[in-house]
Amino acid sequence: MPSVMLAPTPGIATFLKHLKHNPVDASIENFVSLLKRRQIRSSRPCAIATTHLLLKVVATFRDRDVAKLVERIRSVGQQLIAAQPREMAVGNIVRRVLGLVREIAEDDADENPDSTSMGDSGYLPYSNLEPSGLPTHFSNFSPPKHGSALPQKSGLSQSDSNGGDDNSGQGAVAVEKQLDRRPPLLTSHTSYVASAMAPQVTSLFGLLSHPHTPSPTATPPLGTQSPVMKPGLTSRVLATIPDASAAKVDIKAEVLEGIRELLDELDQADDQIAAYALDHIHSNEIILTHTSSTTVQRFLLAAARKRKFTVIHAEAYPNDYLETHATIMQGRQKSAVGDDEDERWSPLTALGITVIMIPDSAVFAIMSRVNKVILSPHTVLANGGLVAAAGALTIAQAASVHKTPVIAVSGVYKLSPVYPFDTEELIEYGDAGRVAEFQDGEMVESIEVVNPLFDYVSADLVDLYITNLGGHAPSYLYRIVADHYRAEDVNL
Amino acid sequence: MAPKASKGGKAAKQNEGPTEAEEPLQAVVFTDSHEGRFIPFTYSQPRCRLKLANTPLIEYTLEWLASVGVQEVFVHTAGNHSEQVEAYLEQSRWQDTFDSLRTITSAATSIGDAMRDLDEKGLMKGDFISVYGDLVANIDISAALSSHKTRRLKNKDAIMTMILREAGDYHRTKDQHNRQCFVIDSDTSRCIHYEQVRPRKSPRLDIPAEVMKDHVDIDMREDLIDCGIDICTPDSLAQWSDSFDWKRPRKDFVHGVLQDYETFGRTIHTHIVKEGYAARVNSLRAYDAVSKDVVSRWTYPYSPDMNMLADQTYQLAKGNVYREDRVTLARSSSIGRRTVLGEGSSVGEGSVIINSVIGRRCVIGKRVRVENAYIWDDAHIGDDTVVETAIVANEVSIGKKCHVKRGALISQGVKVADGVVVEENMRLAKIERDDDDEVVQGVTDPKIVGEGGEGFLIELNEEEEEVYEALLAGVQDMDLVEDDDDDSDFDSDDEDGAEYEHEMVPAARSGSFASVASNESEEGAELKRKKADFVRTATDSVLDGMTKKQNEDNIQLELQSHRLAENAEDSWIREAVATAFSRYIVALTENEEEPQKPKVAAEAAIMTNQRLITACVKEAGEQAEFLLFLQIDLLHRQQGGEVLLHAAYVLAIEDFVDSVGLQEWWDDSRSSRTQELQDLRDKAEGVVTSMVAAAAAESSEDEESGEDEDDEDEDDE
Repeated sequence: MPSVMLAPTPGIATFLKHLKHNPVDASIENFVSLLKRRQIRSSRPCAIATTHLLLKVVATFRDRDVAKLVERIRSVGQQLIAAQPREMAVGNIVRRVLGLVREIAEDDADENPDSTSMGDSGYLPYSNLEPSGLPTHFSNFSPPKHGSALPQKSGLSQSDSNGGDDNSGQGAVAVEKQLDRRPPLLTSHTSYVASAMAPQVTSLFGLLSHPHTPSPTATPPLGTQSPVMKPGLTSRVLATIPDASAAKVDIKAEVLEGIRELLDELDQADDQIAAYALDHIHSNEIILTHTSSTTVQRFLLAAARKRKFTVIHAEAYPNDYLETHATIMQGRQKSAVGDDEDERWSPLTALGITVIMIPDSAVFAIMSRVNKVILSPHTVLANGGLVAAAGALTIAQAASVHKTPVIAVSGVYKLSPVYPFDTEELIEYGDAGRVAEFQDGEMVESIEVVNPLFDYVSADLVDLYITNLGGHAPSYLYRIVADHYRAEDVNL
Repeated sequence: MAPKASKGGKAAKQNEGPTEAEEPLQAVVFTDSHEGRFIPFTYSQPRCRLKLANTPLIEYTLEWLASVGVQEVFVHTAGNHSEQVEAYLEQSRWQDTFDSLRTITSAATSIGDAMRDLDEKGLMKGDFISVYGDLVANIDISAALSSHKTRRLKNKDAIMTMILREAGDYHRTKDQHNRQCFVIDSDTSRCIHYEQVRPRKSPRLDIPAEVMKDHVDIDMREDLIDCGIDICTPDSLAQWSDSFDWKRPRKDFVHGVLQDYETFGRTIHTHIVKEGYAARVNSLRAYDAVSKDVVSRWTYPYSPDMNMLADQTYQLAKGNVYREDRVTLARSSSIGRRTVLGEGSSVGEGSVIINSVIGRRCVIGKRVRVENAYIWDDAHIGDDTVVETAIVANEVSIGKKCHVKRGALISQGVKVADGVVVEENMRLAKIERDDDDEVVQGVTDPKIVGEGGEGFLIELNEEEEEVYEALLAGVQDMDLVEDDDDDSDFDSDDEDGAEYEHEMVPAARSGSFASVASNESEEGAELKRKKADFVRTATDSVLDGMTKKQNEDNIQLELQSHRLAENAEDSWIREAVATAFSRYIVALTENEEEPQKPKVAAEAAIMTNQRLITACVKEAGEQAEFLLFLQIDLLHRQQGGEVLLHAAYVLAIEDFVDSVGLQEWWDDSRSSRTQELQDLRDKAEGVVTSMVAAAAAESSEDEESGEDEDDEDEDDE
């Protein structure tokens, strides 16, 4: 009966529809207000929506200047982050896309045999290096392919030196590449000198001429993607290229391709994480998990297909308990969106797993029996800490008292390069009405009700992160951050 | 809009197929509720642009509409501020957010007119949501919408669904003065009866008998916040048009439609929401309550740190303190809990701010104390000033060492000089509306705002109050203060009634009529209320009879039927009769055309209606009680003492009361409880003493003749 068709409540579904039919600026506005109204919330929907939006932003971008494209993405990103700074997945995706654009622009510049313009005999033309570095930009779009297998090597192969230096960046790249590729002593020696000298000189330049550039000390160590390319430089270099226009069109296509791969990554992250399940969950273990998360659910399901274990599910009252109940009963969240086509969802109990639901308050009592705690973070921070649904901190602390290992499963898109100087700021305070009934007039009148949605769990309480790249110690996360984000994009 | 639509159409065809051809969800926002409850703030600004927690009210409303998926919005404005509303919306972000946003300006003077205007223009394609421009809500109405639509499919006569928020017995956000009672069929959630229970009236509902017959399960609910969100149908608009005299959506429309159910069969349904927030800012008290709710995050996500407007930069700190960028706080200042500080404001050394909202660019001096106050943009508060539970509007300047007391309302642009005390519940303004409804500069009253100040005191005159009454269907209450003791409009004719009313004040504060009264009164609140009701109606009927000079038997008959209907006690009757007499006599003495002397009046009144008295006054105790009631009612009346004297005299002479009764009355502690009663009684002392003395003499001498003389002399004194 068509007349009962209702206008859907705005959310990610309506946003994606809106995005299809409306100009990009209207969509940005729409997304901003949805973020503000918390109608798109939690990391995955935010990440998906941001990626789709940026895809459209890039696709509709008419100017040919890469620097302007970067600026455009940045300004969109700033708007989105200001709308809801605590949904860090938004910022993460924006930074990923920015990195992508820069990478492609640089590669594009590299591919053009204009290295003569650099003019120094000490540097080798890039073209010489390219054949071996062919998949460079690909590796950036989808780190799992390379990064997980050989993070170190692929990082090196794809380029480069520390990102802090700008003007001589290209020179440094060359030098570094030489260092990797070309064992001959002489060159390596010169390159060493060059790389040792260049940053000092240029970093000062950089400080003066580009106040926004992070200082060299902030640059990630080996394995970063490529040197910093200042927009100005890029455009200047590109301007010298004869067939620049053709190249730029390609850039856009490549960026779009890259963003689509990012979408694929978001789509596949859970499966990839789930693939590690058997390494971590063993037969007859008792696993404690908290709140509802598709990632954790898939992870446990993957293990449940092979092994029998027991799951204790803390319900995360008052904010997510309904979702948790739905996850336990139906194997999926009520509000699951986007991926509701043909995926087979089944509750763990359908696979013969015993699932016990407990209130959050019972966590400590039961912790002595638990073999592993699996948390699903809202955001993972560069220092190895994480932000997760309120109650996670209690669980993590109880686990640390009982020396129970705590595993956090999270897609890389939740990994934020932001360093948490003020952990209070990361915590969103929600609807007081969920804690105390609004009906109770006297309560409302006389009592202050606080409902934090998140907890900050510091790095020392987490033993292992499992991302779609594999398992990492919290102390290693900085490295993954460095692999995925450009230093100059950390502060948008 | 055109390119959008074409694009959308194309894409929709490609992707969604014809099933998606849904009609857009439309909404009407009434920005003018045709009330004057925010005077004086609304002299220069429409209510929907007043800022609640530093965001204009209309923003909350539109944000909520957007959040429930409304695509087309019609903002209906009327009255003085239409252009302001229109201009505001024109440059707002909402133009792009909704598929269409139209401002309709009309000359409507009530919601009814506005509805008829909409019907005439034929803008509504299907069912639509009707809200007021002062709504703050975060509720999800998708369930209400779908049940409404399913209902409509089955029955075309279900013309409206009201969305109501459950709110318990007492709630700060609920309108305490206009208690709405919904009688709902619990199976179909149909509203079968609606009534507004006015304060100080008995909470008795007149539910038609057929309603009771037709419905098995009935919920009678008084615990609902009516947030003014209705899902209307074009049929409901037609109803409005059919009844041209309907003005108010609840009292006229709902009531009217329900009354005509037998004839037309149209039904109104309710949807009761148990989660989420919805309330209207329809009075200053509601402004206070909703501000608190917003700051305490009951309206999440619509709290200041949502930064609803693009240029807002609020951040939440511990204790629900919201601060925008560029706020300057002196080191020794203290910002307490539940406080909002707007951009560019500064707070001086040693100042304390608790539980308050401070607008943008405000300057708060040193050692200032601001508590529970709302200070709007660009206000300036001098050193050592105290502001308590007040609203200080835009660009107000308050001098040094001032004291703004509870409930004060200081309107836009007023300047208060140094050292002035703004008393409780004062309203200060700088502009006013003259008889032609034009905004004019008022004459500064230095007595109120001090030398060098600007502004004057607004007195709401009786006439205006009446207008409010008429428009509001509720008690006019501008008081910000929670436990107001504003009893200006309650009739203090009746002492016992007054006692009863005083008990109502705490009752109104903390619960329903019944719950508290029963705690406080020993004889049971139920009985007490019943008594007060009975006395009131009986008094009216007797008085009416006497004024119309009806036959006393008829009056007596009527009284008797009242008594039987209510199962009243004798003392109630006595009270009613005594009160009626006293009023009648007073009315005679105060008759403008031919004022009568108290003596004549008393005689006339009592002699023509003897039987009324004899019917209910027999024993000495009863006589004493009758006199007592008479005395109580005569309190505070002009010539009360005189009337009492003569009435007592006539009663004694005609043997309605004897000396024992008089003596008993005299000795009764209730008759001399307060000084005023004592004073009143003193006038009649002569009668009593002489009567008692005469009676004593009579018993010994058995002689009657001197008695009359003595008494005559006595009353001439």
